[in-house]
Amino acid sequence: MQGSQARQWFMLAALVALWTFFAWREPVFLSARNLSLLSIELAVTATLALGMLLVLLPGQIDLSAGSGVGLAGAIAAVLITWHGVPAPIALLLAALAAMLVWALMGALIIVERVPAFIITLGGLLVFRGLHWLVIKNSTVPVVAGGSQNLYSMLTTAFLPPLAGYVLAALAIATLVFVSQRRRAARRKIGLPVADTERHAIGLFIAAQAIALAVIVADGYRGVPLALVILAVVGLLVHVVTIHTPFGRYLYAIGGNEEAAVVSGLPVRNAVIGAFVLMGAIVALTGFMQTAYAGASTTTIGSLMELDAIAACVIGGTSLRGGRGNVAGVLFGALIMASLLNGMTLMAVSPEAKYIARGGVLALAVWLDLRMSRARES
Amino acid sequence: MNASVLEARAIAKRFGGVVALRGVSFQLARGEVHALCGENGAGKSTLIKLLAGLHPHGSYEGQILLDGREVQFRSSRDAERAGIAVIHQELALFPDLTIAENLLLGNLPSRYGLVDWNAATTQARALLSEVGLQLDPTQRVGELGIGPRQLIEIARALGRHPRILVLDEPTAALARNEIDTLLALVRRLKAQGVACVYISHKLDEVFAIADRITVLRDGSAQATLPAHGTDAKAVIALMVGRPIEALYPRRASKRGEPALTVRDLDVAPRAHGPSRLRRIAFTVHAGEVLGIGGLMGAGRSELLLHLVGLWGERRRGSVEMGAGTLPPQDVRASMRAGVVLVTEDRKRFGLVLDASVSFNLTLSSLRAIAAHGFIDAAAGAITAGRMAADLRVKTASLEATIGSLSGGNQQKVVIGKALLTQPRVLLLDEPTRGIDVGAKVELYELINRLTAQGQAIVLVSSELPELMGMSDRILMLHEGCIAGEFARGEATQTQLLSAAMGITAGRAA
Repeated sequence: MQGSQARQWFMLAALVALWTFFAWREPVFLSARNLSLLSIELAVTATLALGMLLVLLPGQIDLSAGSGVGLAGAIAAVLITWHGVPAPIALLLAALAAMLVWALMGALIIVERVPAFIITLGGLLVFRGLHWLVIKNSTVPVVAGGSQNLYSMLTTAFLPPLAGYVLAALAIATLVFVSQRRRAARRKIGLPVADTERHAIGLFIAAQAIALAVIVADGYRGVPLALVILAVVGLLVHVVTIHTPFGRYLYAIGGNEEAAVVSGLPVRNAVIGAFVLMGAIVALTGFMQTAYAGASTTTIGSLMELDAIAACVIGGTSLRGGRGNVAGVLFGALIMASLLNGMTLMAVSPEAKYIARGGVLALAVWLDLRMSRARES
Repeated sequence: MNASVLEARAIAKRFGGVVALRGVSFQLARGEVHALCGENGAGKSTLIKLLAGLHPHGSYEGQILLDGREVQFRSSRDAERAGIAVIHQELALFPDLTIAENLLLGNLPSRYGLVDWNAATTQARALLSEVGLQLDPTQRVGELGIGPRQLIEIARALGRHPRILVLDEPTAALARNEIDTLLALVRRLKAQGVACVYISHKLDEVFAIADRITVLRDGSAQATLPAHGTDAKAVIALMVGRPIEALYPRRASKRGEPALTVRDLDVAPRAHGPSRLRRIAFTVHAGEVLGIGGLMGAGRSELLLHLVGLWGERRRGSVEMGAGTLPPQDVRASMRAGVVLVTEDRKRFGLVLDASVSFNLTLSSLRAIAAHGFIDAAAGAITAGRMAADLRVKTASLEATIGSLSGGNQQKVVIGKALLTQPRVLLLDEPTRGIDVGAKVELYELINRLTAQGQAIVLVSSELPELMGMSDRILMLHEGCIAGEFARGEATQTQLLSAAMGITAGRAA
């Protein structure tokens, strides 16, 4: 576990360095307005990365996620703007379609044994093509000009200050309650627990961070709805991966698929289930990303799968499967979102942005491999 | 003897928490055949990998000396360059390349930068004839059986003109005449001054060819003996470290109701083609250990795998448990009905090596631990803790990664995982493979405790003493058929082996 701790410190240092650098070059980086925008961008990147985690855990991969993001957002936008379908129904339909398609991909991968890399690479191209077909290569707004609907609100709605504080208080209370209960349970069965002081300091820092986030957000327009969505998705994925048999199966399959089969685990259903959840998350990300842009265009979602994979790997998820968790992925997503946001602020050219993104991805995977090699020898 | 051409001095090597070698010293004299003997897990393979540069310098303690000078191999290439050729137990051939390419890879004759295929074929043919193979060098290796492949591996090593040849279980997959070819080859090499390290479980081969024998046990060299002037019994005593009788503490328990009945089973590997298992019929009772033996390839593992629905297409017959019959090819249904398999290859099929002890223990029974679909972490830890204590798993904590445990303790965890599904019949495939003697005895004691509680156990083993020592009844398989059934204490090792080889039938089954 020494390696993983060293890695956590290293990543934290990287984040601090990144933020310091951007704040130094562009002081506006730390303004309430930019942090608020950053948190929305984080919500989009991190939500998709959480889905990617579910797929990476059982040792699969999804390269079609970015194209799926564009397609799902496009379907919903077209249904609303061109066909007059009410926003909630349009979103639901697009999400169901994505879940169905992802179930199909999952089945092809785990039942027919076509490598996930190939199936989802095909998906990347097919969905991109469908996306452009659906919007007829035009720009389709998510809502008629000037008005609001559920779709546009995904990234334009903010909680009123009071609601933000209530939510923060609730989150902190839940955090304290759950961690106390977990400590009590561990102590009862004689498992080691961190000493009280460290535990209290950890809780205190977490509570401070939540409170600070809300105060900063209220300095602009309040806590963005997108951030609340991310929190809910994060909580759900955490509970699913850690506290349900399904989630543990994903770890087991990624750790050793043959052993999982022999142990009598429902390998097929678990992997297909992971892909179905991924489909839902892809759709949700698609809605947020499209809403953030205000309209579905041909570039929406492009390369987002790589940001998601990079976020997972930076957060300690193994590309070979079997290792990774929600906290790490959120952290990785924060690094990726900060990087993109900061570069945009500095008006870095698109060419340099591509190079930086690619470099970070390669660096993260290389680090991951080095870490797993260190664990093996 | 001449001076040592290769010497290992006080070598110690550990993998995580497991000590594989503790201060082993070993000397190979010029032109001698030196046999390494020891049980699985005694450290033979680790020692060889060290000599072959596969565990690089720095990953172990101690010294390796070549012609009296210390060498520090960083890779297998270094060792090769120094004239050490190793033929490993696991075959390292490329199935999609031709025999000639496999033999000469890295050393293909070329002209003007292009491979000279005529020269390659000629060279390959010469190497093949050295090992007594008459094959077309342009044939793909993937089309060959396991015996010829092993010989090709040896031919490849010879192509590098080694001064030291290390053979790790070279005859495990060979037929009688191929073994004779190989032994003759080793003698010829010895006459040419090549020193050989020869590892084999087959003591008759060892005594036929070796000049000296070094016995390893639990990672230590017990003794180095001249082959003339010692005998198999002495070597076995050194390997095992205790009298053989004390090894198998089977206490028969009361035989109860039939737990699992197999009727007239015919199973084929695929939908088409001949059956691999034929007319298999037997019953296991509660509280009974039914041993199943047979030579490699007789169908022992396949039978167990089929019983839990992991292998084969059933042509005929049924598997009955209590009231119902088991559906073929449905692992989860078999497990629900109460048949669980502990597989032969625990790392490949049994464990998630990166995960914790308690994760692995509870893996098959998470549904039972989950309340309303959510896993109660405390309940899981309690269940895992109780099982670990029951099985006397030695681990720093339940949250330690399973890879840090010794082989025997890993095996206990695999068995614990199976037991937590509350099986009626436990199928154990080579449960003591690769674990040390002390852990073996603990496993045997566990089998005793389980049967005393009414557990039915099917024990597959390729070690006849283990089979004879631990089974209440023994079935011997020969080419997919039951070739004999023996009650405990009824059969001698010779009788069992004859049945396994299809020579004489025991009591008809």
